[in-house]
Amino acid sequence: MFPQLPTGALSQFPLRKRRLSRTVVNTMADGRTIKLPDVAAQVTEWQLQYTGLSDPELATLAQFFASVEGSLNGFTFLDPNGNLLAWSDDPSQVEWQKASFLTLTGGGADPAGGTCAWHVSNSGAGAQSLSQTLNAPAAYIYSLSAYARAAQPTTITLLLGSQRAARPVGTQWTRFTIAGMGDAEATSVSFGIELPAGAAIDLYGPQVEPQPWASAYKSSTTGGIYENAHFRDDAFTYTSTGVNRNSTTVNIVYANHL
Amino acid sequence: MATFPKLKTNAVAQYPATRALRYQNQTVRFLDGTDQRYRDASGPMHRWTIRLSEVDEGELAMIEGFFLSNQGQFGSFVFVDPWDGTSYPSCSLAGDQLDLTAVAEMQGQTNLTIVENRT
Repeated sequence: MFPQLPTGALSQFPLRKRRLSRTVVNTMADGRTIKLPDVAAQVTEWQLQYTGLSDPELATLAQFFASVEGSLNGFTFLDPNGNLLAWSDDPSQVEWQKASFLTLTGGGADPAGGTCAWHVSNSGAGAQSLSQTLNAPAAYIYSLSAYARAAQPTTITLLLGSQRAARPVGTQWTRFTIAGMGDAEATSVSFGIELPAGAAIDLYGPQVEPQPWASAYKSSTTGGIYENAHFRDDAFTYTSTGVNRNSTTVNIVYANHL
Repeated sequence: MATFPKLKTNAVAQYPATRALRYQNQTVRFLDGTDQRYRDASGPMHRWTIRLSEVDEGELAMIEGFFLSNQGQFGSFVFVDPWDGTSYPSCSLAGDQLDLTAVAEMQGQTNLTIVENRT
């Protein structure tokens, strides 16, 4: 897996990302077009620019580059600027594991001025959770965040692997966050929100990021985990700009068809 | 049909924005120097170039999601011309590439070119 920096960050600013798709276009003499999509040809590229890296940080990157032998071997890459959850605005999708006594109603007013909030209520006699399991490296540091409010103040529990954090929910929209690592030996990490018996909340903007702090909410459909990504280049070049200060740039590519 | 997304400010574009109008005419030139011209298409085609900067991560993700849902230039959508409010019912992205840059927190940048489809 691509290494996080000791700060828990996966990259630094500026971060560049390129989305490439392929469309076969037949253009007629009068300007009309017939288009055919090639979904399998989609490619995503990231350019990560690092500056001010310490010698150990640079060594970690170089060691990882050597371990995958440049562009030869694939690895799991988490989008540094993405929401790792799939369908973050739609917990009715199959990617979400919903406990049987939870009821979800969409289309509620959200704190961003839209209508993407969900009303979640627990009619069961015990705690019920809404969660998503990601095939992401358990040794990473993650943050889970979500906005919530409740007509009747209650307490929700944020779930990150085996970690649990209780948070009081009031009548105003508040963003709740938990950060931590998954279970050391696990190959996946579960993220979720648990409601106590009889509780009901409005929920908006669940987000998981590969860093210890939450950034602005990003709606997602596909999630941000890219298995079998590769380095674009076979060369790893770095510059020492001072004592214990180094800079380098790496390019990572993920192709659907590989 | 899908509609081109708006920023949180409810704007579609930022300055500088570019708009182009293109006709498609043919000219047949004769030996005596005269020429005959005719329309090769039913009307003008519009093209807009939108450069976005200082957008936050959510807005950048929204643009990215729009690109993905359209599969690049394949999909079509309704675009409302930010100059005059005219709604163009069938437009597409001009290319199959989208570049997104996060310069710093809440400082995303991207460019989009939109073309009107001949229907």
